[in-house]
Amino acid sequence: MEFKNIVVAVDGSEASQEALNHAVELARQSKCALTGFFIIDGGWPDFIGNDWQSSKGARQEFLDYIFKEQESQAEAARMQFEIAAEDINDRRFSILAGDPAEILIAQANAADTGMLVVGQRIFQVSGRPSLRSLSKRLVAKATRPLTLFP
Amino acid sequence: MSDTGFFQKLPRALPGLALIVITMVVIRNWLEPWMTNAVVFGTKGWLVKVTHLNYILLGIIMGMLYRNVVFGGKMPDVLSDGFKLSRLMIKTGIILLGSLYTFNAIVQLGSMAIFLIGGFVILTIIMVLWFGTMLGLDRSMIGVMANALSVCGVTAAVATSPGVEAKASHVAYAIATILGFGILTMFISPFIGHALGLSDLQYGAWIGTGILNSGQVLAAALAFNPNVAPGTAVSVAEIWNIMRVISIPFAVFAVTVWYWSGKEETEGGKRKGLGTLLVEKFPVFVIGFLGMVFLTSMGAFGDVGLKGGPAASETIKMMRLWMTWIFGFGLVGLGGYIDFKELRQAGGAPLKLGLIVGVTKYVLALVVVFLIKDYLVAI
Repeated sequence: MEFKNIVVAVDGSEASQEALNHAVELARQSKCALTGFFIIDGGWPDFIGNDWQSSKGARQEFLDYIFKEQESQAEAARMQFEIAAEDINDRRFSILAGDPAEILIAQANAADTGMLVVGQRIFQVSGRPSLRSLSKRLVAKATRPLTLFP
Repeated sequence: MSDTGFFQKLPRALPGLALIVITMVVIRNWLEPWMTNAVVFGTKGWLVKVTHLNYILLGIIMGMLYRNVVFGGKMPDVLSDGFKLSRLMIKTGIILLGSLYTFNAIVQLGSMAIFLIGGFVILTIIMVLWFGTMLGLDRSMIGVMANALSVCGVTAAVATSPGVEAKASHVAYAIATILGFGILTMFISPFIGHALGLSDLQYGAWIGTGILNSGQVLAAALAFNPNVAPGTAVSVAEIWNIMRVISIPFAVFAVTVWYWSGKEETEGGKRKGLGTLLVEKFPVFVIGFLGMVFLTSMGAFGDVGLKGGPAASETIKMMRLWMTWIFGFGLVGLGGYIDFKELRQAGGAPLKLGLIVGVTKYVLALVVVFLIKDYLVAI
C-alpha cells in the first residue's frame, strides 16, 4: 500500500519513539512525505479552573511555567523527529496548540493524512490525566488509516 | 488571550452567566421546594432529610452535569467566559462574608483557627515529606503534594509548582487527586456532621481543617447549614479557610527551602525570598474581606446580629441574602470545572499518598475537634 503523506505524533519521550521509527520506515518505503507534530496542551487554564483563590499573578505565573515546560518538550520532540528522519527529504515538523484529543482526531480525519502513526502513551508527558485515554478516543473517531503502537 | 478589561469581557460572558443564573433560580424556586415536600419511601422530604441535598449541592451537581453529560466533557466556548466569572463571584461572596464578623469575633475565632490550622499544616507537611520519600516519589512531586494536602488544595499546588520545578504530569496528578478527594468529602461531610450531631462551630472547624480544597470547604459548609449568619457553619469554616490561604506564602517558602536544600540552583536561582512570595502569592481578596470586617466593626452596615445582641440590621440581612445567591451562582460555575475524565484517570503513587494523608487529616481533624470542643467558643 502506497501513501502520499505519513503523519506521526511525536512528544520527545520514549512513548513516541517506536511509532516514529515505524513512520520513518514507512515513509522511506513509500517514498512519500513525512509530517511530525507536537501539541502544546491548551487545556491547563480550564484544568485549574476550580481554583478560585489564586491571585491573578500566581495563576499566570503557573500557566507560564507550564507553557514553558511544554515548549521545552516540543523542542525535544523536534530533535527526536529530526534525528529519526534525517534521510527523508520531504519532511516537516510542526508545533500545534489546543486540545490534544481534538487535534489528534482532526489529524486522523484530515484528507491529506495518508496514515496517522501514534504511540498509545503519546502526550502523557503533557500531564493531564485524561490524556491517558487519548488513543481510545482516537480509535473510535479516526476515519483515515491509523497505526497504534503500545 | 487578549488582555481586555472586565466590561469588554462582559458581553461574551452573558450566555454562560444567564445559564448559571437560570439554573440557580430554578433550583431555589422550584427544585428545592419540590424536594422538601416530595414523599419518597413514605417520608415527606426524604430527599432533603436523608441526602442533605440543598441548593448548594444541587448547584454543584448541575454544573458537573452540564459539563460532563450535557456538553460531553467540555464547556462550549459560548458559555466558558460566563463560567470563568464564577471565581469572581465566590471571591465577592467571601469579601461580603466579612460583614458577619466584628474584630472581636475575628480575634476569638482566628486564635482558635491559627492553633488548629498551624498545627495541621506543619503536621501534614512533615507527613507528606516522610510518606512521599518512603513511596519513592520525585522530590518536586512531594513538594507539590505537601502544600496541596496541607494548605488549600489546588491553589497551593498552583503556587508551589514553579518553585519546585514540578513536571506538568506531577502537578496534574496532584490536582486530580486533591479534587477527587475534595468532591468526595464535600458530599459525605454533611452526612457525617448531622449523624454525629455536630454543632455549626464544631462542623465548621472540622471541615475547615480537614477538607483539602477550598471550594469544597465552602460547599460542604453551606450544605450542612445553608444559612449565612454569625455562628453558622460557613462563618466558622471560612475563617479557618482564610487562615489556610494566608499561610500559602509561608508554606511555599518552607517547601521550596526543603526542595532546594543540598541541590544546585539553576538559571540564576529559582528560589524566591519570603518577601517576594508574600507579594506574589498573597490572595488580594483576603484584604477585601478584612476591609469588610473593619467596616462592619465600625457599624457601617448597622447591627450584625451577634448572639445575645440586637437583631441584624436590614442592610446586613439584605447582604446575607445576596451572599446565598452569589455563592449559589459561583458554585454552579465551579461545578462546571469538575471534569470526570480527569478524575477517573488519576492514579499511581500521588493517589496513594493523597489518600493516606488526606484520610488521616480528615479523621484526625474530627477527633481533635471533639477533644477540644470545650475550648471552641461560639461567636
